[in-house]
Amino acid sequence: MKVVKDLVAAFSLKAEFAKRRNKLYRIAYSWCHDAALADDLVQETIYKALKNASKLRDVNTMDSWLYRILYNCWHDYLRVKGRNVEFVEMHDEEQVDHSENYQQSQIVKRVRASVEQLPLPLREVVTLADFAGFSYAQIAEITEVPIGTVMSRLFRARQNLKEQLLEFGSDDLSEFKLRRVK
Amino acid sequence: MDIKNISEDKLNLFVDKQLDTDEMNEIHEALLDDKDLRERVCQLKAVRELVGYAYSDVPGSAYDAHEQSRSSSMFAKAIAASVTLVVGVLLGWSTYEYSPNAIQAISAENAFQYVANHVDVEHGKRKIVLHIDSSDLQVVNAALNEADQLLATYRQANTPIELDIITNKKGINILRPGMSPYIARIQELVANDGVAIYACDRSIAKALKREGVDIVLMPGVAKDKSARELIPERLKQGWVYIKA
Repeated sequence: MKVVKDLVAAFSLKAEFAKRRNKLYRIAYSWCHDAALADDLVQETIYKALKNASKLRDVNTMDSWLYRILYNCWHDYLRVKGRNVEFVEMHDEEQVDHSENYQQSQIVKRVRASVEQLPLPLREVVTLADFAGFSYAQIAEITEVPIGTVMSRLFRARQNLKEQLLEFGSDDLSEFKLRRVK
Repeated sequence: MDIKNISEDKLNLFVDKQLDTDEMNEIHEALLDDKDLRERVCQLKAVRELVGYAYSDVPGSAYDAHEQSRSSSMFAKAIAASVTLVVGVLLGWSTYEYSPNAIQAISAENAFQYVANHVDVEHGKRKIVLHIDSSDLQVVNAALNEADQLLATYRQANTPIELDIITNKKGINILRPGMSPYIARIQELVANDGVAIYACDRSIAKALKREGVDIVLMPGVAKDKSARELIPERLKQGWVYIKA
């Protein structure tokens, strides 16, 4: 009976992870800007999450737990590769798929390029906040830094982006601004 | 809080809703009178929304390609839905505009329609529809604050504005006397600013079925159409849609 119960639990957990896969992938992509690497990172994250499922005490914290694993996988990768934080080759040029509207694709490219230029700790925090929608406390938990550090990183990231995007905005964004539904 | 000199740190906390209710309300009130503050908030919100948008549709993963090849078209539809676009035209970057707190959510198709229509709207009234589907105090409070701010901003800029508030689901409860703490505030919006209030007829019917008593709404509420009819009608005409 216990085996059946464990199997059911494993399947349901796997389904929960699968539901979150797409968002995990997009966050991983926002950090590394490399589709294949983002895929690998998410794959590894889900593998580790399944392996360590017993450590997840509260299902309500599943999101921050999963992103914490992703964050660790990403930093393991950087360590192993001996890369410093300013890494990454842009692949967006041919892959931004907004061909129906040239202006939209220009905005997306510009924003991604601006995010890419941020120092990695700032990039991670700003995407966790602005794309994944985590609270400061959750980001502090995921990145294992004090909440004050999260705030200051977010502040610096947005200041930096604001300067870059406002310059761009005067030409393009003043008439057409895109937003997203989470 | 020193409202005159709100730090950028504090504004970040504000746009991320990390302040307590009193502090949030204090800044909401300050925004009504302070054009520079509105602009600063607007810029921060714009940055946040743009970062969110930029990664909403990233190059596909190999896993997705594999899954798509073996699964039904439902998966593709879900992906398509996830890249729903939202457009806010001429709200935000310009100096005298205030970008609403709430997200302006419309489909890509609506977005393009909006762009096609917005020139006409631009030369006439600003037309904004505020959609409330919750009776949660914080949500409703924020929505009504948004309404106040929008009206104040456009009034200050001498720009005519037409604001419709469409309620459905639990949102209709904010229009029920004896149940809602917002009746007086909404009546003021109607009387002073000409805001039109709608309650979804389907939601009213469902509430009637669920509660078994007549659903009495405040006077002046239009209730002969559903939110599903009212909102697309406006979107097609180029209204800006704000979801509370």
